[in-house]
Amino acid sequence: MRESAARTLGLVLAAAYAAFIVWLYVRQPQTVAEMTGALSATVGTYSIDDRAFADGLRFFRSDRFDAARLAFDRADPAHQDSRTQFYIAYSYYRQGWGRLYNDDAQFARGLEAVDRAVAVAPQGRVAVDDPDLQLRSADELKAELQAGLRRDASYLNPLKVFRQRK
Amino acid sequence: MSRTREAFVLPLLFLTVALLGGVRVADRIVLLPPPLFTLVLAFLLVGVLVRSGALAPERLMSATRPPLANVSGAVVIVTAFAAATQAFNVAIPEAGLPRLLFSVFLLVLLVNTLAASPDRVRVLRSVLVIFGSAFVLKFIVLAALSDPAGGWLKRVLLVMLEGLTFGTLSQDLYRPATGYIAFATLTLFVGSLALLPPRQRRRLESAPYGPVHGELDR
Repeated sequence: MRESAARTLGLVLAAAYAAFIVWLYVRQPQTVAEMTGALSATVGTYSIDDRAFADGLRFFRSDRFDAARLAFDRADPAHQDSRTQFYIAYSYYRQGWGRLYNDDAQFARGLEAVDRAVAVAPQGRVAVDDPDLQLRSADELKAELQAGLRRDASYLNPLKVFRQRK
Repeated sequence: MSRTREAFVLPLLFLTVALLGGVRVADRIVLLPPPLFTLVLAFLLVGVLVRSGALAPERLMSATRPPLANVSGAVVIVTAFAAATQAFNVAIPEAGLPRLLFSVFLLVLLVNTLAASPDRVRVLRSVLVIFGSAFVLKFIVLAALSDPAGGWLKRVLLVMLEGLTFGTLSQDLYRPATGYIAFATLTLFVGSLALLPPRQRRRLESAPYGPVHGELDR
């Protein structure tokens, strides 16, 4: 191989490898599925499993939240689809919601999921047109989850037993 | 130094060290970016390597080399710096008093080595000892002290030491895989340093790009 060709190839390889490392450190993928999904999302070829998503939605609407999340995870194993992540967050909200008190662990996981949804959405905007939901954007859902985790005087308000799950 | 080593082997080895240096395996895999202080330590280490002759920058970048060869040489230096940064990221504990002690200790050690101006072989041995000791202290001694499943002796020791160190001794507990990855990373790093082009004792006038393609660099 010619000298200049070999050096050019070496430079291209090193630049590509360095870019991949920086990308990994920025995106922090947890699994191989997340890594390949994030890579394909970067080049715009990522798509979810529609059938698994439909299953998840069916479970979600019948309040079978654990099953719904399993199906949603199957639909979006790389956590790159904002709508699926939004529904996962919503499932944590509905499962953790209580008339007397909320399940903080579920709400915290919901916050993580809604943050993931916002992170992968274009311009960070997530809006879901679903008449079954009262909170139709990531902003509303996140505010509701944060309010549920807050500990202040309103937490002791006895009238909160009359509030409704959204 | 051969063209292959300069254009392919060294950059890819150093970049692999840079990739693996931040890997921590706990409940999930975390890629820790290097703290700012490791940049200072890496800068000092590169200085030590140049001063000792373990790295001869003039063999990677000089006016006698073609521009593309100079760019290739610059990539070796930059990736070596990045790898050194991540090697220190591996070696230094993530939190508490051990982090402060390790940082100060490594800083003093590197400044001392810089002042002593040892030769190439001694510097490489010194680097091996520095990273070897740091590995043992962080991944064996500190990890054992931070392990909640340790025996009664460990717990007594920890209580005593935590009292002395204001409770800042314990570290985040990682899976054993982290230690194995760290060992491989540090071994790869020290091995790659030994592959860097050393300063030559005499020049070969007939070399096409000056001393880079000479035969006396073994």
